[in-house]
Amino acid sequence: MRQTVGRACIELLVAGALVISTCPAFAHHSAAMFEEKKTITVEGVVKEFQFTNPHSWLLVDVTDKSGKVTTWGFEAEGPSTLQRAGIRPSELPVGTKLTITGRPMKDGRPAAIWEFAVKADGKRLDPREGFQVK
Amino acid sequence: MNGRGIGAVTLAALTVLLSACGTSVAPTPGPAESKIPDHTKERNIALGLAHKTAAELYDALKQEAGGGTRLNPSGLPDWTGVYTRASVNGFAFDADQAPGGLPPAKLTPEYHDKMLKRIEAVKQAVEWDPISTCAPPGHPRWLTEPFLREFIVTPDQTWLVNEMVNDIRRIYTDGRGHPPEEDRYPLYNGDSIGFWDGDKLVIHTNQLQAGIYQRSHPDYTDQVETVEIWQKAGDNLLTADVWVYDPPALAEPWYVKQSYSRLSDPNLRIRYWHCGENQNNSVFQTQTGSTQFQDFTFTGTDDRQGGKP
Repeated sequence: MRQTVGRACIELLVAGALVISTCPAFAHHSAAMFEEKKTITVEGVVKEFQFTNPHSWLLVDVTDKSGKVTTWGFEAEGPSTLQRAGIRPSELPVGTKLTITGRPMKDGRPAAIWEFAVKADGKRLDPREGFQVK
Repeated sequence: MNGRGIGAVTLAALTVLLSACGTSVAPTPGPAESKIPDHTKERNIALGLAHKTAAELYDALKQEAGGGTRLNPSGLPDWTGVYTRASVNGFAFDADQAPGGLPPAKLTPEYHDKMLKRIEAVKQAVEWDPISTCAPPGHPRWLTEPFLREFIVTPDQTWLVNEMVNDIRRIYTDGRGHPPEEDRYPLYNGDSIGFWDGDKLVIHTNQLQAGIYQRSHPDYTDQVETVEIWQKAGDNLLTADVWVYDPPALAEPWYVKQSYSRLSDPNLRIRYWHCGENQNNSVFQTQTGSTQFQDFTFTGTDDRQGGKP
């Protein structure tokens, strides 16, 4: 079910920001279908958090200035790694407003590797922190 | 009073003394002292070179350990907890691989060329990982995955558990050998037998399938075999000295040291890992040999186009 979006400001920053990736982002499949260096940043609301193995998907509804809604999918690690990063389903219920940055797909589909997200309260959610040993 | 009586009195007095000092006597005996010494990396490399096959190295270690010992059920090594492998240059099989460098294995020319071609293809964004089908990584790649792990020690078997795809290596330490030649066939994790030398678990694994050590790494063949020495190297650290033998692909045995750290979060638990539970993770191999997603189910655009990108 598509969530109603109050207001969403889309900011496509395909700005070529260099993403330094020294730790693995994926275990199941290659990330060859994603841009290696470009990033995008969008604002939207959580439509659904698919907390699954081997990868989770955070679905974010993004509305442009004309009112058109696009659902973006942001791929991240599976549940246990996200738990180690402090990212749980209860952290991102449906309707949560956030800004999220990722490396988009090369073929233009609205999907990306989840680099980091920032919630309205300022909390930063970085899936890769789940690979830290602590 | 006989000698036994003196011993009992002495032990009782010692117990009272230690109690008074706030120290208790250990209730169960621990593992026997190991006979196989710890070596430097250079010495372990030489040890691998000194033996032509993994089986020869394993047999030599077993002889050095006096045949090994059966664990005392009341004094098992404490390998409890949830562990993980810390990231070393990503998933690098060899912790000593230089950042941006090549895996430091001594490969045969054929397999060196294959590795270089794989790495060059990745630079062109052409990459396909065999585990994209949800297949298990297989051993020895099993050693490198960065997810949760548990190590279950019993006197006659030790289970080395990797969270990813519920992957368990069973190490038989009850004295059995490998299956007879005529009953062997390639397995993802092979067939593993082992023995205990004090608190060290020595393992020989054969009967493996061909695979890759990791992405941007060399191939190994179905002739690959390993010898491992696992031990607790600290309160929160398990290590494994690993020798890999694979004559078609390795010009010399590849010695590496793997480390697994115990995590402190008491809420971490290993859950069932269903690799195919989310169709949005489904990928296929393209005509160029690279990786691409199937149709997503979450985008309005895909919905309108009947699921096609």
